[in-house]
Amino acid sequence: MEPTDDLDEYLRGDSALSRQYRRESTPMPPHALDRRVLGASRGAHGKSPCLAPLAFAASVLLSVALVLAIAFGPQTAKRVDDAPRLVRVAAHSDALTNPALNRKLHLYSSDPKSARAPAKWLADIAALHRAGRDREADAELRRFHSTYPDYSTGDLALRPGGGP
Amino acid sequence: MEPFDEDAQLMVRYRDGDSDAFSTLYARHKGPLYRYLLRQVRNAGAAADLFQDVWSRLVATRSRYEARAKFATYLFHIAHNCTIDFFRRDLKMRNTARPDDADALSEPEVPEYQRPDGIAEFAEQQSALLAALGALPREQREAFLLHEETGLTIEEIARVTDVGVETAKSRLRYAIRKLKKSLLPVPIPDARPLRTRTI
Repeated sequence: MEPTDDLDEYLRGDSALSRQYRRESTPMPPHALDRRVLGASRGAHGKSPCLAPLAFAASVLLSVALVLAIAFGPQTAKRVDDAPRLVRVAAHSDALTNPALNRKLHLYSSDPKSARAPAKWLADIAALHRAGRDREADAELRRFHSTYPDYSTGDLALRPGGGP
Repeated sequence: MEPFDEDAQLMVRYRDGDSDAFSTLYARHKGPLYRYLLRQVRNAGAAADLFQDVWSRLVATRSRYEARAKFATYLFHIAHNCTIDFFRRDLKMRNTARPDDADALSEPEVPEYQRPDGIAEFAEQQSALLAALGALPREQREAFLLHEETGLTIEEIARVTDVGVETAKSRLRYAIRKLKKSLLPVPIPDARPLRTRTI
């Protein structure tokens, strides 16, 4: 018989060869191997690739939230509070006579509303008074009045002749 | 795309997170895959390692699975690659184990599963057909096993083994021709007609 005919007969699936092969022993993998493979498939499923985009999205969201919190959160408000501290330092070290610090002071004072809160500013002025630096306190108070003309300064008042 | 067969659908379900789908797939294919590997490498220990390796690769690459063909072609293509790697490693091990100097006359170190006693033990459990199958060239044996164990067509066998259809057909044809010889009854040399005594 031609080999081609052998192949055709065989491919039909009812050849003696196929029947004999199917009668042979059919070894199966050991149960331990079954357990290992199935366990690995479930273990990998715990680390499902479907969760990877979720994890990525969560970390992006967290990063954005952190950036926003740094840019617009309570830290920013604190920065406003920090500004008078420079003024206080400048006042205590005769900053008004120091041109370099003066420039800094001018920078902070150029837009006082954005740099200083009125209550804090007044507290600084009161502190200058208590330290006996009345001239500087008066100068600050004038600056305060020009910035906040409608704000009541309470018992802080310009001393006559206290101007710079 | 519509999956090609039910197994491909199961694999898609497993890819999408259904662990039970994998259990069903595994139950269906573990026997054919194990026998394919066992009869290809002809060693139970190596077959078990390869078996685990094939499933591990399937699990690891599940997210890239697309149902473009019958699932068995996908699984056995992985198995084919694993056995190719195995035979390459085995060949390399034999080559590096071959000494060039004074030890050249001594026996080269071979892996345990290749030692003669191990092979003999394996061979003893075989029928004439399985012995003939083991004696086939690897490529012919593979073509036969793929068809018998999974029912793959010649075109699918060609795809799994990365060869042309004519090559796959030729391999299978030669395999069948040789295996059929093992089915022929062995002639009994001393068979003579019984003498009848005439009275």
